[in-house]
Amino acid sequence: MNIFFQQVLNGLTLGSVYSLVALGLTLVYGILHIPNFAHGAFFMVGAYISFYVAGDLGANFWVAMIVSAAAVAVMAMISERLIFHPLRNSPALHDMIAAIGLLLFLEAVVQAIWGADFHRLPAPYTTILRFADLTAPAQRVLIIGAAIVLMIGLQIFLRRTTTGSTIVATAQNREGAALVGISPLKVSLLTFAISGALAAVAATLFAPINLIYPAMGHLVILKAFVIIILGGMGSIPGAIVGGMVIGFAESFGAFYISNNYKDIIAFVLLVFILSLRPQGLFPSEVR
Amino acid sequence: MLQLDRVMLNYGSFRALDGISLNVRDGELVVMLGANGAGKSSMFLAISGLRKLSGGSIKLAGGEITGASPATIVSRGLVHCPEGRKLFAHMSVAKNLMLGGYVHRGDKAGLKERLEQIYDMFPILREKRDNNAGSLSGGQQQMVAIGRALMGRPKLLLLDEPSLGLAPLVVRQVLDTIKAINASGTTVLLAEQNAYAALQIADRGYVIESGRVVLEGSRQELLNNDTVRRAYIGG
Repeated sequence: MNIFFQQVLNGLTLGSVYSLVALGLTLVYGILHIPNFAHGAFFMVGAYISFYVAGDLGANFWVAMIVSAAAVAVMAMISERLIFHPLRNSPALHDMIAAIGLLLFLEAVVQAIWGADFHRLPAPYTTILRFADLTAPAQRVLIIGAAIVLMIGLQIFLRRTTTGSTIVATAQNREGAALVGISPLKVSLLTFAISGALAAVAATLFAPINLIYPAMGHLVILKAFVIIILGGMGSIPGAIVGGMVIGFAESFGAFYISNNYKDIIAFVLLVFILSLRPQGLFPSEVR
Repeated sequence: MLQLDRVMLNYGSFRALDGISLNVRDGELVVMLGANGAGKSSMFLAISGLRKLSGGSIKLAGGEITGASPATIVSRGLVHCPEGRKLFAHMSVAKNLMLGGYVHRGDKAGLKERLEQIYDMFPILREKRDNNAGSLSGGQQQMVAIGRALMGRPKLLLLDEPSLGLAPLVVRQVLDTIKAINASGTTVLLAEQNAYAALQIADRGYVIESGRVVLEGSRQELLNNDTVRRAYIGG
């Protein structure tokens, strides 16, 4: 029972991180209709900023997370304004190449500052929680709890607030949104800011149970793409469910099949689900 | 209220608008007649700031709006209800309508009052307010599109082909509603292929062909004009 519970916990932990990353990616896709490969670099930079603020400056874990989220949000907005906005009327391929260029640029900058070595962010809570005969490291419970709070918060923001509705409206009909007076530029900036902040928070939560290194965003972004393709490009529920599907598949696959095949499972699942449902699990625009 | 002076619009090497000049006076209901591809929709897109002019100028209530953003133009009282409706299909009717009042978002009480007025104008929308806009019939979606535009409290309302694809009975209802909107004080510029029905409610009209104004006149003048009768009314 405890072993099964551990796999559920691992699945939820991985799924929470993947969902947060995929949410940012799917939001940007919904607005711009381009796959933002640089999102993996936002995740990586978020981890490094938290590592610097909590490690070198000695700040509290939560302060580090807030600073990292704010810094990556600003960085994402600058990249939208300086790189993606001028390419708005260019073929989609140009955006994709620009995104890959940004990814490589950010990795080079991080490597120049911190080097190529692995780093680790100390876990803020090292206790092991016990429920009857079940045990759970506090950091994993924290990741799951924080992800749930963020997902609910994001849903409330998008559904219940006027500002959030402008993002959903622009994703559903860009011209229709402009005609009611919504500024597509402001919406794009806001979406990039949210997307960057989500990536930074996910990275900060994940960093204490993983390593920090310049290429850490590669596998995460590839899996996030698998998730949003599975969930339906631009679909918010799809990103959450898709993240959990991949998280659980990896966790149970690693335990019951082989840990060596853990990273392959996401891609096998992609092929399998898309052969049954080519449109993804939740086909739609952002909603 | 609205003045277009030699407005030009190019799509690459194709000239969609070729020096259009026209004016719409306060309180009027003016109809734009023309075949498919004559430039009616391009003209509306240019007026509402969604397409950048290649030449000429546009003034609204005496003030220059050439090159202004759609958001600025909406906040100055010109609202465009586009062809194809451009609704937020996966949002509820109520949310579509509320977003129509986005530029007045600071005035919550005013928006609620306006929403009730829209529901009084289109009672079916009150019943369907929680349904997704994309799930409604064509006529009901057109009501949402007009209602959403009215939520922006327009001084000038641009309506592009509001009867397109609707059943004849629904076309009559939509045009009656447009007449009522105009009678309540909103200036209306209406593009319509259904020339006879549109001229029944209009004060004046323009005929455009290949991006140029080729004819203008009062309702009666246009109804009696042989070219208009032959080309657009069929009699």
